Amino acid sequence: MSDTRFVNQRAVGTSVLPDEAIPLVEGDGRFLNDIKLAGMYHVAFLRSQHAHARILSIDTSKAKTLSGVIKVITGKDILGKVEPFRSMPNRFSGGESVQHWLAVEKVRFCGEAICAVVAEDRATAEDAVELIEVEYDPLPAVTDPREGEKDDAPRVHDTVTNNYLIKREYQRGEPAKAFADAHLVIKRQFRIHRKQALCLEGRGVVAAWREGSFPLTLWISHQLPYVVRHYIALHLGLAENDVRIIAPHTGGGFGQKASIYPEEFLCAHLALTLRRPVKWVEDRFENMVASTHARDQYIEVEVAFDKDGRILALGSDIWVDVGAYSTYLWSAGMEPLQTGGLMPGPYKVPAMRYRTRGVATNKTPVGPYRAVGRPSASASLELVLDEAARKLSIDPAELRMRNLIPMEAMPYRNANNLVHDNVNYVPCLKLASAKAGYEKLRAEQKELLSQGKMRGIGISCFAELTGLGTTTAVGPGTLLQPGRDAVTLRLETTGVLTIAAALPSQGQRIMTAMRQVACDELGIKLEDITSMSNDTSMAPYGFGTFASRTAVFGSGAVIQAAKELRRRILALGAFLLEVPVEQLTIANSEIQTLDRSKSLSLRAMAERSFFTAKGIPDELNKGFEVTSFYDPKHGSFAGGAHIVAVDIDTDTGQVSITRYIAAEDIGTIINPAVVEGQIIGGIAQGVGEALMEELIYDEEGQPRTVTLADYLIPSAIDIPNVELHHASTPSHALGGFKGCGEGSIIGAVGAIACAVVDAMSRRGGDLHEFPATPERVLRGLGVVT
Amino acid sequence: MAREQRIEVTVNGRRYEKTVPVRLSLADFIRDHLDLTGTHLGCEHGVCGACTVMLDGRTARSCLTLAVQADGAEIVTIEGLRSEDGKRHIVQDAFFENFALQCGYCTPGMLMTTIELLQDTPNPSEAEIREALSGNLCRCSGYQAIIKAVQVAAEKMQK
Ligand code: FES
Ligand code: FES
Repeated sequence: MSDTRFVNQRAVGTSVLPDEAIPLVEGDGRFLNDIKLAGMYHVAFLRSQHAHARILSIDTSKAKTLSGVIKVITGKDILGKVEPFRSMPNRFSGGESVQHWLAVEKVRFCGEAICAVVAEDRATAEDAVELIEVEYDPLPAVTDPREGEKDDAPRVHDTVTNNYLIKREYQRGEPAKAFADAHLVIKRQFRIHRKQALCLEGRGVVAAWREGSFPLTLWISHQLPYVVRHYIALHLGLAENDVRIIAPHTGGGFGQKASIYPEEFLCAHLALTLRRPVKWVEDRFENMVASTHARDQYIEVEVAFDKDGRILALGSDIWVDVGAYSTYLWSAGMEPLQTGGLMPGPYKVPAMRYRTRGVATNKTPVGPYRAVGRPSASASLELVLDEAARKLSIDPAELRMRNLIPMEAMPYRNANNLVHDNVNYVPCLKLASAKAGYEKLRAEQKELLSQGKMRGIGISCFAELTGLGTTTAVGPGTLLQPGRDAVTLRLETTGVLTIAAALPSQGQRIMTAMRQVACDELGIKLEDITSMSNDTSMAPYGFGTFASRTAVFGSGAVIQAAKELRRRILALGAFLLEVPVEQLTIANSEIQTLDRSKSLSLRAMAERSFFTAKGIPDELNKGFEVTSFYDPKHGSFAGGAHIVAVDIDTDTGQVSITRYIAAEDIGTIINPAVVEGQIIGGIAQGVGEALMEELIYDEEGQPRTVTLADYLIPSAIDIPNVELHHASTPSHALGGFKGCGEGSIIGAVGAIACAVVDAMSRRGGDLHEFPATPERVLRGLGVVT
Repeated sequence: MAREQRIEVTVNGRRYEKTVPVRLSLADFIRDHLDLTGTHLGCEHGVCGACTVMLDGRTARSCLTLAVQADGAEIVTIEGLRSEDGKRHIVQDAFFENFALQCGYCTPGMLMTTIELLQDTPNPSEAEIREALSGNLCRCSGYQAIIKAVQVAAEKMQK
């Protein structure tokens, strides 16, 4: 990087107001459901009412005759015409699952789509769905992974010998020896229930045939436009360049909109065959049963400690209820492999073993949701650390301090084979403790306990691998290495810089972040920089938004591309101003001599280079558009420590959070206010995960939580004021950035779980099943049975 | 019972006369018939608050209200919050300047509820704000920035 870049103050590090939010606050957003095209048809789905059943017959005759109905199709109608979803190969795969876009012969979960109705409007399509008659032959359902793994369990898929979709055993170091020699071994079992991302806006698609210059255009509420483009083409037998994908404003993603689902693909097929635009928007019921679920683990953890509370070995056994199908693209390995593999978090673990399984059941498939696997894994380990602290009479904060990977030991390869470098785990815990007034907090707790009140304090330290480059697969065991993304910088002839990337935002303000970085790198004023990040017809290749990667990739690629663009600008500037290039810089959207005696606006230069280029040597006028791919190769760990105090109402079992302190290391911060929103938003989801959110199924595999009245997410009165502090250290990635989208949910679930159990343990109570609902808390206290 | 009915409503200061199916929700009427898509649907069950609009000066969940029930009413949606010269409402500005929205899906409802709160309680405490907003779910923000925005808007409105 040149050292003459900055005349003005740096934009990175300031809370630049995000222009991209203006349409949203003014009511001018364009979400999927806001799109209306001439002649557009609407789609509704008939969904299975059974968890597992053979389809004996489908009678669509009445539905077809309803006025306004255009077409009714079943799974058989598209058999052989489109390519169903076969589970992605995974090194740890068990049996294969094949998911037809509309069920063929069998249904395997409640909510699975069986028929699609196309009609002139949605209400008519829904009316027609009601008129379809399906005859089922119900089959025994698998509803629990530990039952489902047994040899005599019913099979979810016919072609397999058991219900394992994923199975892995891992060992490193000598865990058996460590357990045998340990001073203390703690073994615990946990049950973490099923939940879901609950985007406030469901999924949706508008698929249009020959709209503009592409045979197929898809507006889709999705996090990965290019990935959708690739797979749409593959499954419909098109060429990729026949397809344009646009991700409009998106009302939350959190991983749920990072998978590929049958409904959207089916709509693309319908648009092609009907030669009309079609639209499908998921309603809340559909979202509860047909969009991916998450978590749902049984976790047995065993940790060996020496007498000072240092971890000697970690062992775990994990069963994940992954639902009926291997989630397309990511495979069924997400929760099982990450729960096992990432359990060590920020702690030094010299030896490790785990056995993990993803067992197919007759439930909605499990897919990625914010921080996949880690909230459950981290909470399990943190609860064990607390128990060790109690047994060894070591303060829980001190015990964690002894086990955290210190900066001096980095780069540090942990027993799960991941390398930690440049992460302030220890400073984060120190900072959180200091800001919390940890000793005082404990003294207060003692006082309250002596008054008969139930106060608990929980600490959780976490690590989050962000911004993964090509050397680490995001989906463990899969072939996918989403580690390269590109950005195009284009200086328009008006002197405005356009940044294009395929990194859609669901509120992360990635466009603002990239503008800030470009402003610093190029000396172009923020108001002269625009960006777009959601349209494959304009953006260069990129994987999209997930796994806390977007700011790292977008910003890194901007830095790289800016270097070349800057070189071209200065070279032409030198020619036009007739001064040596070394004497020039760019500031405030102008090319200036360092002594500011001469200047030329970027607009004048850009106009000249295009409209009146005569006389400019070709080698100085190669165009002011640069595309650059960025691959950080490795990932960067972000980390942090959360400290939480809770009060439990002994009559109702209700948990309320009284203090919440978070200290995080997320690398160089681009926009502090945006980052704060990401972290606190993650904590809020963690509060829901730890205390409230649970998708309930009965023994037949019927979902019991299908509306927002049954599935509770936190409201403004459930979330505490978060005291957020930073102990940042730059990563090795360009710009020193790390991701910050997911870490805080890990910290929140662990810290809250520990605080609840801390309070309960003072009354001889315990809890090993989460969320810690009032009922479970009372049961854990022995108040109710 | 007639399947359609003629209604007359004023939305964001403009009068509309329309014939609508009696089963049509006010939300669908506003979004699909008037093309005012700033009002969002998050649950269609009266839980999330994303669809909140002003109906004769009070907040109403447009997913639970039928269009025919709004006959004769005066409605304000998020599109009607800016002044005629295009200036944002104080509450809109406060939300924007305090980073109180991420995906923005909950925002239309949040703005309406905030405006009603500040009409009734010009100087609300944090607890009152949390209580007032407890019927508007936001999945992104953790509410902290929203509460800050409401406080800033309250201050500005008193000036
Ligand atoms: S859509 Fe009306 S309250 Fe949720
Ligand atoms: S900003 Fe996304 S739901 Fe509130």
